[in-house]
Amino acid sequence: MSLIENLKSYSEGINVSSDKKKLLTSFFEKGFPTIQDEEWKYTSLKKLISEDYSIGKNGSILSDLDISNHSLGFENKIVFSDGKLISTPKIKGITFSDFSDFECSTADTFLQLNSALANNGFTIKVDSNTIVDEVIEILFFTNTENSFNQYRNQIIIGDNAEIKFVEKIQNLSNSTSFVNHFTQIDCGKNTNVEYNKIQNNTENSKLIDTMNIFQKEDSTCNINTLIFGGSFTRNNLNFEQNGSNCESNMNGVSILDKNQLADNHTFVDHKQPHCTSNEMYKGVYLGNSKGVFNGKIMVRQDAQKIDAFQSNNNLLLSENSTIDSKPQLEIYADDVKCSHGCTIGQLDEDALFYMRSRGIGITEAKAVLTYAFASEAIENISILEVKLLAQKLLAKKLNVDLDFSV
Amino acid sequence: MLKIKDLKAGIEDNQILNEINLEVNAGEVHAIMGPNGSGKSTLAAVIAGKDEYEVVGGSIDFEGEDLLELSPEERAHKGVFLSFQYPVEIPGISVSNFIKTSITELRKATGMKPIPTKDLLKMMRDKMKLLNIKNGYLSRNMNEGFSGGEKKRNEIFQMAMLDPKLSILDETDSGLDIDALRIVANGVNKLKSKNNATIVITHYQRLLDYIIPDFVHVLYDGKIIKSGGKELAHELDERGYDWITKEANKK
Ligand SMILES: Nc1ncnc2c1ncn2[C@@H]1O[C@H](COP(=O)(O)OP(=O)(O)OP(=O)(O)O)[C@@H](O)[C@H]1O
Ligand SMILES: [Mg+2]
Repeated sequence: MSLIENLKSYSEGINVSSDKKKLLTSFFEKGFPTIQDEEWKYTSLKKLISEDYSIGKNGSILSDLDISNHSLGFENKIVFSDGKLISTPKIKGITFSDFSDFECSTADTFLQLNSALANNGFTIKVDSNTIVDEVIEILFFTNTENSFNQYRNQIIIGDNAEIKFVEKIQNLSNSTSFVNHFTQIDCGKNTNVEYNKIQNNTENSKLIDTMNIFQKEDSTCNINTLIFGGSFTRNNLNFEQNGSNCESNMNGVSILDKNQLADNHTFVDHKQPHCTSNEMYKGVYLGNSKGVFNGKIMVRQDAQKIDAFQSNNNLLLSENSTIDSKPQLEIYADDVKCSHGCTIGQLDEDALFYMRSRGIGITEAKAVLTYAFASEAIENISILEVKLLAQKLLAKKLNVDLDFSV
Repeated sequence: MLKIKDLKAGIEDNQILNEINLEVNAGEVHAIMGPNGSGKSTLAAVIAGKDEYEVVGGSIDFEGEDLLELSPEERAHKGVFLSFQYPVEIPGISVSNFIKTSITELRKATGMKPIPTKDLLKMMRDKMKLLNIKNGYLSRNMNEGFSGGEKKRNEIFQMAMLDPKLSILDETDSGLDIDALRIVANGVNKLKSKNNATIVITHYQRLLDYIIPDFVHVLYDGKIIKSGGKELAHELDERGYDWITKEANKK
């Protein structure tokens, strides 16, 4: 069976509201997007949706060892196992709870599917004026082989609050798992939020991850996306600035090899004046890997004095790797600073020779230069543990035993 | 230590070095002078192993080993060091991280134990003092935004850290102010021993007042056309290259 057939038989066995039924009917009518669809032009879903998945099953019980093996070591953890929420931390000023549904109107097929059928996820409410020093780690484990999971999460951050998250989605077997993930963050006035996504899943894992972020005035939101693992990763990162003086920052590092594919779609909707957005995506491609970047910036008519910066720099380290990069700027205001740049290159031969002449072997020299290339985006991460993990995973991916942290 | 015999090398169809012969023994300082474009940097790069240049004839022997068979990193492991005429900027990697990686890899390759980071940092600070390098320098990105003189000083700093057997200094003096020249030359002299050797490539006699050469060679059109003692450098300073090239053409 293919995914759509899996979904049909699953949805026949459950009761959903009439609104959701409508969504489902329209989903089954139009099916998954194809490469004819502008948003999926460079990323084919064909193989991914032709596979057979189990839906709504719970596998074996998660052990403490599984958790500690994949944790970055933070004390405050939210843990999911095959969709089920199994632990939440206790922090003053924050309410953690299980899935509760929320509205989100969208034309995106995967979000519609998520709206119709997702019944797992978390809800986090941060009280106003709460400053949280500890990092909150969110771990989603997949225990069942070949499963399809959907999560729908919401984070509501009260005015003047500050908080940081680290998120990992982890398959515990080598089977073909597929997660359709959705998180909405509502940033209150004058909030400061950092959300780090570490996408280092097993070789056959697939992920479609959508984040919708709504910002009120004077808020700052930083989203860092680190892609090392997984066979198929599509990130949709959508910012909507609904107040003046907002700052939206995105850093991305993808280091891919073999047949990995990673597609980062970003969208910043500047609706109000005096705001900034800053995005820096770095991609390193080895083997037969493929990268896609699509960065859309919209500056609406009333959004004057906007400063929007976007860069997408790529290193193609093998002959068979590819990158499709596309900026998309739509600017309707006249007093706007907007810049974007995209580079595609190889490692600098002179720098390589320079390093080798200092005794650094060619593999290591390449790794150091690759790290140097990616470091600008990694440096923007404020959490040391995440930075160190990024360095470690990079060294591992490039097959070197180097410590970049001096 | 270094024996270069009938070395011919070039790039594609362009032969840059024509039958270079040069022998450098431990404890010696050799100066190579010669007009722009005569092949000095090419010779240095071929010794260091830049594979852009193709060696079409001759040999380079380094302490009994065929240097041309070795990769650039292996040559560095054997103790060959090149101070670049144009040091390369490497954004995203700090001086300390670069040097730490370099020393770690060198030690790994030569079977030595790694140096603890603490000791390494102390060693760096000592060498910085020797070369009068300001604090804050270690955390800057490698050569990025360095002034011309700072880059040259950074080359000698690396030389001091790596303690090579054969150092080739390619126009390390150009771009240095008068004080820096003295400091750098002084540093080079301090690192000199009877076990290592130095090849100094320069256009100016001034440097050779500080680093006193045992031999001076004139490279012209890819060939060493004259060799002599340190007086030759003085003569060149006064008379230029014309008389030597004429002399060579006569032969
Ligand atoms: N990569 C290269 N590609 C093409 N030509 C080259 C290359 N490297 C060197 N050459 C040529 O070889 C000749 C020698 O160059 P080289 O840099 O060795 O000169 P040099 O003696 O070091 O000069 P200078 O005193 O100006 O530093 C020059 O004519 C130069 O243009
Ligand atoms: Mg030169």
